[in-house]
This record gives sequence, structure tokens and C-alpha cells, in this order.
Amino acid sequence: MDWYPLYNSLRIALISSVIVFFTGIFAAYYIARLNRVVKGILDVILTLPMVLPPTVVGYFLLLLLGARRPVGMWFQEQFGIKLVMTWYSGIFASAVVAFPLMYRTARGAFESFDETLAYSGQTLGLSNTYIFWRIRMPACRQGILAGAVLSFARALGEYGATSMLAGYTPGKTATISTTVYQLWRTDNEALAFQWVVINVMISAVVLLTVNMLERKNRKEGR
Amino acid sequence: MRKRFAAAMMAAMMAVGALSGCGGSQKTSHTQAAGTAQEGTEAETTETESESPKESVELIVFAAASMTETLTEIAKMYKEVRPEVEIVYTFDSSGTLKTQIQEGADCDIFISAAQKQMNQLDMAADPSVNTEGLDFVLEGSRLNLVENKVVLAVPQDNPAGISSYEDLGTDKLNLICLGNDDVPVGAYSIEILESLGILEQLERDAKITYGSNVKEVTTQVKEASVDCGIIYATDAFSAGLTVVDQADEDQCGQVIYPAAVLNISKHQEEAQAFLDYLTTADCAAVFESVGFSMAK
Repeated sequence: MDWYPLYNSLRIALISSVIVFFTGIFAAYYIARLNRVVKGILDVILTLPMVLPPTVVGYFLLLLLGARRPVGMWFQEQFGIKLVMTWYSGIFASAVVAFPLMYRTARGAFESFDETLAYSGQTLGLSNTYIFWRIRMPACRQGILAGAVLSFARALGEYGATSMLAGYTPGKTATISTTVYQLWRTDNEALAFQWVVINVMISAVVLLTVNMLERKNRKEGR
Repeated sequence: MRKRFAAAMMAAMMAVGALSGCGGSQKTSHTQAAGTAQEGTEAETTETESESPKESVELIVFAAASMTETLTEIAKMYKEVRPEVEIVYTFDSSGTLKTQIQEGADCDIFISAAQKQMNQLDMAADPSVNTEGLDFVLEGSRLNLVENKVVLAVPQDNPAGISSYEDLGTDKLNLICLGNDDVPVGAYSIEILESLGILEQLERDAKITYGSNVKEVTTQVKEASVDCGIIYATDAFSAGLTVVDQADEDQCGQVIYPAAVLNISKHQEEAQAFLDYLTTADCAAVFESVGFSMAK
């Protein structure tokens, strides 16, 4: 059995969840302090990829990154690299789709953070960076970890936008989800089933992790 | 503390809900796309039937994706000939359509881009092809409708400078898009590459990306996501793509589109009438305008 789809899926999911981890947290942190109207608008835009069909997300991304489209052409001219139909095209797709999960969970965690802790830090002369990393983040770590795990799971399962951006090249852009689809399409049910089982096991482990985080959280809460 | 974890948990739970909802809908949309389409049209039929005293009929036609433009045009023409007949199309790869018919989708006429998918539904065909013993084709209705050509198409300005099927074995090629082997044009492509003896080499170098129907391949070429693609002459024509090579008969055989009324049709007479109409000179003109030739 060719394990490439597993390797490719895992690396795409890992890289995109690292990207989403930082961008999601910073977006959540800064947007929480904006005024109501701007906050509402940005909130809708940043959450849209979660509710839109992945094919719509893929369509928008292709309009930007395609070989004959503005961003895609710029990268081609400046660096001579293609943004579509490569293994890393899957990262763009997964990151955009997984971003809202991280952003929303992180924002929920930040909003329930007791601001007096930050203020007392300031009266003690601590820098804002110190307060953010040593007080706010540890206090919100459960929510943020849950968000990170969930966005990883979502990135791992991304199919629609990925298939539009990266296509299906065995040994190059194939991921677990696109492989399952192609195997099913070409009547290779036995092999498709094996990949389905692998995917279900990975996702089950991920969700188990989320549950364990929550249980740990509950104990600490008491 | 308690308030905080409650909020974190709720956020996580909401996210999980969204996640599972997403996965579920995606799965059903693949397998039931045809089913829901039919449910919709069925409801419409009964509605129109009860409304107008003159019996209006809805014909559901499953046709190969490469016929999208021509058949849509012909449906408009048919409206003049038989105003009471409403033609509803589902265009997809013939392999997908065959599976949907087999799974119980409502369909009156099936037009496949290759004999294989039609044979798989035809009791009269060889059991070695119709392996599942499916009986969907109405006896005596099957005919060869049109013939197409399999061509090598490149994006505008041909950035990779590919000019023939032979070039596919050279370093000029980085990535080619083909239909997978369930798609007729994909099966033809594989025959061509095998006859040139370069299929294994291309697979080993991961130079092939697979689309799930001919329109997907066409779009990838048009967007210049790939260096070239193997599609039908008609799709290249409709998309305005440059054709640099055309396959001979000995490379992939003749590309014949068979059509037939299905025996599950509730309107077999009207379906046969439409099928007959497709072979008239008026329709031949439409087919030939995009590069089909009428099958003999």
C-alpha cells in the first residue's frame, strides 16, 4: 500500500494548523478590542469559510491563486513557483477552511478571560507581551488547545477546496480524502475502505484528545 | 474559573457540531445529488400535470458532460417542435451517470460518451462487460448517435510548448490532466499513452493529475493549472482551447456516443420521439457545429 496520501495529509494538516494557530489567536485577540460595528463585519468575514461549502472557498482561492490570476501570476513572475496543483496548494485550502474554528474558539476563550488579571499585571509594571504570553494564554489554554485540535481535524478532512486547488496527482498532491474519492470513483472499493478506516481512526483520536482536554479542564474548574 | 471552562467547552462543542454537520452533508451530497435532483423534478411534473389539461411531459436525460452545450441548444429547439415536452438534463461523466442509474435514479434517456457504460446497463451486451447483469436499456432503442475525437489541448499561448502526443514523454511536460479511468475520455487517454509506451513513466514521475469528468480537465487546462490535457475535440472547441494533436483511430479506437431509452422510463414514447429527433438534420447541424460528426 502506498502511504503517500497519509504523509501528505498529515503534513498539510500540521502546517496549516500551525499557521491557523497563530493567525487565529492574533485575529481573536485584536478583533475582540475593536468597536462593535467593525468587529461584527470582520467576524462575519472571518467565520464565512466555516459555513460556506468548501467548493465555494476553492472557487475564490482559484480566482486569486490560479496560474492566470493576480496573486498566482505575481508569484510565478517573482519566484517562478506555481501556487496551484502542487502539494502545498492543499495548505492554502485547509488553512482557510480551518481558520474560523481556531479564531472562534480562541475568541470565546479570550472573552471569558478575567481582565482584572491583565490590569493587575500592568500595575506591577509587566509588559503587554509578557501579560499576553504568561498570563492570558495560560489562563485560556484549554479553549485554545481545543481550537487547535479541532482546526487540525478539519484541515485533515478538507476535500472540496483541496481537490480544486491541488487536483489529484498520485504521489504528489493526493491526500487521504481525495484518494478515497478517486478510489471510489474507479471502483476500487477495498482500498477505499482501508483509507476510510485510517481516516476514521485518526479523527477518533483527535476527538478523544478534545474530550480529555475538557475533562482535565473540568477537574481544574473544581 | 467555572465560567471560563464552561465558555471554552461551549465554543468547542459548537465547533464540533459544525464539523460533523459539514462532513455529513458533504457525504450525502455526493451520493444523493442525483436523487434530490430527481425528487425535485418529480414534484414539478406532478404539479404541471395537475395544472394544465394538455398533458405535459418531463423527460429526464442523463448525458455525457461533453454534450452540455449542444444538447442545451437542442432542448431549446425541441421546445418549438414539441412545446409540451420539457427536457431536463443531468450532465456528468458517463461513469457517474451509469452508477446513478444503477442506484435507482429516475432517467428516461441515457447518452454515454463510450460504449462501455451503455453496455454495462444493457442485457443484450456481452456478460463479460455487463458483469452485474443490469437490465436498463429498452430493447430496440439503442443507437450510435455521434462520434468525437480525442485531442491534446493546451492553455492559451501554450507556455510549455507542447506540440504533439510524443512531446508528453519529454521534459517539456511537468503536469498533464487526464480523466480518471472511470471517465471515458480518461480511458481513451490511457490507451493513447499506453500505445506510446509512456504511461508508466508519467505515473512514476507523478506528472498526471486526475479529474473526475471531462469538464474538470478542460477547466484545469483553461486555467493553465496544467501544461496540457487530453479531452474531446468538442470540449476544446467550446472552451476555446488550442488543439495541438489529435488521436488516430488505431491509438484509441473510434469514440462513439451511444444513446438509448431506458426501460424504467415512464414516458417511453416521448423519450423515443426525442431520441429520433436527435438524429435529424437539424440536430446534426448543431452537433457538427462544435466538432462532433454523426455516427454512421
